[in-house]
Amino acid sequence: MMRLGPAGRRIALLLGCLLATATPWAGAAENAVDFEDRVIRMVLPQEPPQLDSSKATDQVSTRVLGHVMEALTRFDGQGRLVPGVAERWEIRRDGATFWLREDARWSDGSPVTAADFVFSWRHAVDPKTASEYAFILQGIENAEEISQGEAQITSLGVSAPEPRRLEVRFSRALAYFDKLVAFATFYPLKESFYRARDGRYGADAEDMLFNGPFVIERWDHGARLEMAKNPHYWDRDNIYLNRIEFPYITADTNAALNLFKDNRIILAGLDSETMENALDQRWRIERFNDGSAWYIEFNHREGRLTQNWHLRRALALSFDTYEFINRVIGTPGNLPGLSLYPSYLQGAKQRLLQEIPPPEPVTDWTLARSHLEKAMAELGLTEPPELVLLTGNSPTANKQAEFLQTLWKDALGLTVRIDRQIFKQRLAKMTAGDFDLVAAGWGPDYLDPLTFGDLFASWNLNNRGRYANPALDACVRDAQNSVDPEARVRAFGCIQRILLDDHAIIPTYERGQIYVIHPAVKGAIRRQTSPDPDLARAWLEQP
Amino acid sequence: MSAYTPRPEDFAPLGAQDAAPVLVRPSLSYWADARARLLRNPRAVGSLALLALLGLFTTVGPLFWTVDPSTQNLDRISEPPNLSAEALLIDRGQRWPGVEAEGWPSAPDPAWLASPTRTALDAPEGLSVVGTPHTWSVRLRWSPVENAAGYQIYRNRYRPTALNELGLPLGDRWSGAEVSYEDALALEPGVYWYSVTATDGLRESPHFQTLRVEVERALPLNAARKAGLLAPGDGEPGQRLSLPAHPLGTDYLGRDMLSRLMHGARTSLFIGLLAPLLYVLFGTAYGAAAGFFGGRADAVLMRLADFVVALPFLLFMILFRVASGVEAGESGITAILVAMVLLLWPATARLVRGQILQIREEGYVQAARLLGAPQRYLIFRHMIPNTLGVILVTLTFAIPTAIFTEAFLSFIGMGVAPPTPSWGSMCFEGLKSMLNSPHELFFPALMISLTVLAFNLLGDGLRDALDARMRARE
Repeated sequence: MMRLGPAGRRIALLLGCLLATATPWAGAAENAVDFEDRVIRMVLPQEPPQLDSSKATDQVSTRVLGHVMEALTRFDGQGRLVPGVAERWEIRRDGATFWLREDARWSDGSPVTAADFVFSWRHAVDPKTASEYAFILQGIENAEEISQGEAQITSLGVSAPEPRRLEVRFSRALAYFDKLVAFATFYPLKESFYRARDGRYGADAEDMLFNGPFVIERWDHGARLEMAKNPHYWDRDNIYLNRIEFPYITADTNAALNLFKDNRIILAGLDSETMENALDQRWRIERFNDGSAWYIEFNHREGRLTQNWHLRRALALSFDTYEFINRVIGTPGNLPGLSLYPSYLQGAKQRLLQEIPPPEPVTDWTLARSHLEKAMAELGLTEPPELVLLTGNSPTANKQAEFLQTLWKDALGLTVRIDRQIFKQRLAKMTAGDFDLVAAGWGPDYLDPLTFGDLFASWNLNNRGRYANPALDACVRDAQNSVDPEARVRAFGCIQRILLDDHAIIPTYERGQIYVIHPAVKGAIRRQTSPDPDLARAWLEQP
Repeated sequence: MSAYTPRPEDFAPLGAQDAAPVLVRPSLSYWADARARLLRNPRAVGSLALLALLGLFTTVGPLFWTVDPSTQNLDRISEPPNLSAEALLIDRGQRWPGVEAEGWPSAPDPAWLASPTRTALDAPEGLSVVGTPHTWSVRLRWSPVENAAGYQIYRNRYRPTALNELGLPLGDRWSGAEVSYEDALALEPGVYWYSVTATDGLRESPHFQTLRVEVERALPLNAARKAGLLAPGDGEPGQRLSLPAHPLGTDYLGRDMLSRLMHGARTSLFIGLLAPLLYVLFGTAYGAAAGFFGGRADAVLMRLADFVVALPFLLFMILFRVASGVEAGESGITAILVAMVLLLWPATARLVRGQILQIREEGYVQAARLLGAPQRYLIFRHMIPNTLGVILVTLTFAIPTAIFTEAFLSFIGMGVAPPTPSWGSMCFEGLKSMLNSPHELFFPALMISLTVLAFNLLGDGLRDALDARMRARE
């Protein structure tokens, strides 16, 4: 799953200035949009490490793959699930059947068959592949045993009885399987081609075979990536663009904004600093919910002060999520943190949070102090304890941490030490349990509430605070094993109630992002899951 | 020619006499002369005065400007310098439930939506403000639009004339009947232009309605009481309250810049003065010993100094920090101090050694030695006074370097721990919002620049004043 980096805005300012002044020469003749040849140009935040879909984990790889590959199903611009390679499908309690469309083709012209999916999925769970996302196939018969080396790869519960029919057997109910298969790990791989590449699959443009709307035509590592329309794609008539090019690879948001200003790229993200700049330039500013939920996670390990419920409640009661999003973060699009589940998730009939409304958060410093006193009595402390808040090293993370530090000093007299770490180190410390509080975020892998719901199950390795509650575990199992939408919503409600009542986490906010996009580009899709942004079905309108 | 006739008195003994009339100017000791020449140097005097002011700013300043440097005030984030401000007292009661158009459909008519000839939705009419708009909330409402599935709300600082000028997309409403919006996003006193457009669920209408809103600064009653601006039970909503001034503005969490600069100076000057003092002292003793004893001892001692020079400073600084067990979130100031003392002394040692080697061979030292002067006498009478000038100058030039080092280390996050301010860390934070609120970077940078300039000018003046050869020119 995607543990989120610190907003991706670790700006090396000096470097940024250098890049900003150096880039105009790099592609002097290339404008952001070429109306005649139907080309758009964009920036990639970083070079994809490799493009083998069975091993891809990062957002950049899945973003590129999302344009050149197609899964059984996909999400459209409105976030609805629509047919991809599969024409229709059926999900049962014990398995699923997908009927593949006749005209699905690989970029060499050969048909995409069910066997391609069987090979790809087997390959992903193969312990020799060591895919970090092997766990996402769990729930398919024998997937867990295979990835632990206890069963044969061929025993995976997926088969191709006919070239255009894919049968899947589940070991537990997977009500959301049709949404799950839109994820990158489930893309097909053509066995003969894959084997012929002898381990080099996905390393270069010529070492790949595509079945999506585009093909990668050129890939200069670290410098440039170009995609061209796939002539064999079944839905090619609905693909307007001829090319999508990434002539720049940089993670620097300032550099990206300067490229946008120079009409070199069609899209650039904004932050609270560059936002004012964009307003002055009279650009149309767009907003979208990037899907991630952010929260403060407590360390529930033995011997930690934060095991104490009164202490956690005192910390939660002094926090005001509205003040946090409006006055501390201060960019539009962020929503108050009311629950573990972001607001866009769908429930049985309406949005999930309409069906299981979370309680309105309470901010009450007097009550918080009385809980702190109870906590101190229980812990045998004579004065408020000192806690360590682990956080990222981005400017945003730093500002938020300093705010919390002073907030808890003022409200409770607690001393909070800020432990600022780079992303990898923060993750290592989170895994080792070297913190009292950590500012964490979670982005969805698939559009089902379970991607958030199972986060604090005692067996989930991403439960870094090691929160263990049998009642919660039971609810998570209910949500996993049930196929009835209503029953699942009830289980998600149970998870939410336990987490909030027990103050296992303090939800802080639901992240929104703002960006600017070239006015001629229409149909660009921003979404909560990869690929984001999705330009595959975008078109151009002359202004 | 007349001859002089000697008189008997001429042959009387002269007897005791007063001292001969003084024909030379008064003897001027080395130090008195140096001081006089320093005081004649306007730049040096100016820098001395600046340093005295700085000392007062740091020590006496906080006694007069008693604002706490870590108190954050989210009402006044990144405020430019101001001398007075006034706020409207408000009561933050219940959250505003919003306005819903009764009996209005939440979604458009499906038949209309499916029709290929449907036209763009109208702009919402009757956009108005509910209650008093202030920095804690601006409540907007408008009349519902036929066939709307929702609305988009925008805000800008200038009057929008086209779609691309609507400004910040604040939020949306996902029902045609929800016809209100409460904005609380980082509002500052002043004029805002709010715009609302309608959407049919698929496409946003290009027609918009705009409203000019003048936002007044507000302060909730309980916040005013918490901050000690009001006695408990005092004050009523609707009253105006004058707020504390921020002569140098506030930072990104609404903390007073003046107060932070004063407290930040402590960290910067503590490191800036103590570290050079310690390592120059050590370097002097080390270099003097090497130079005085000479021979093998000198060779060994100076090779060790060469070794220390070769150590990369930043790397060792970080290693010290890690090895000294500075936990994350704790101040790394002691570690910086230790690292600077341990790593920066060789320059002074080399300089002093050179001086001592030179002085050792001077005639007067040889003479003193021939007369049987003990080593202690040689050191304290001849060596130290003659190297003191060099040492003082080294010291004044080392101070700015140390201040810079602290600023740099705090800048890269290896220095002080938040919320303790230091000039370096303030620059680092200020840099992020340089374009929107330049005062956050300008003032700490100015303080660093002034201090470093003052010490450099003073060092220059001292060098001129203490140079015995320049004495002869006058």
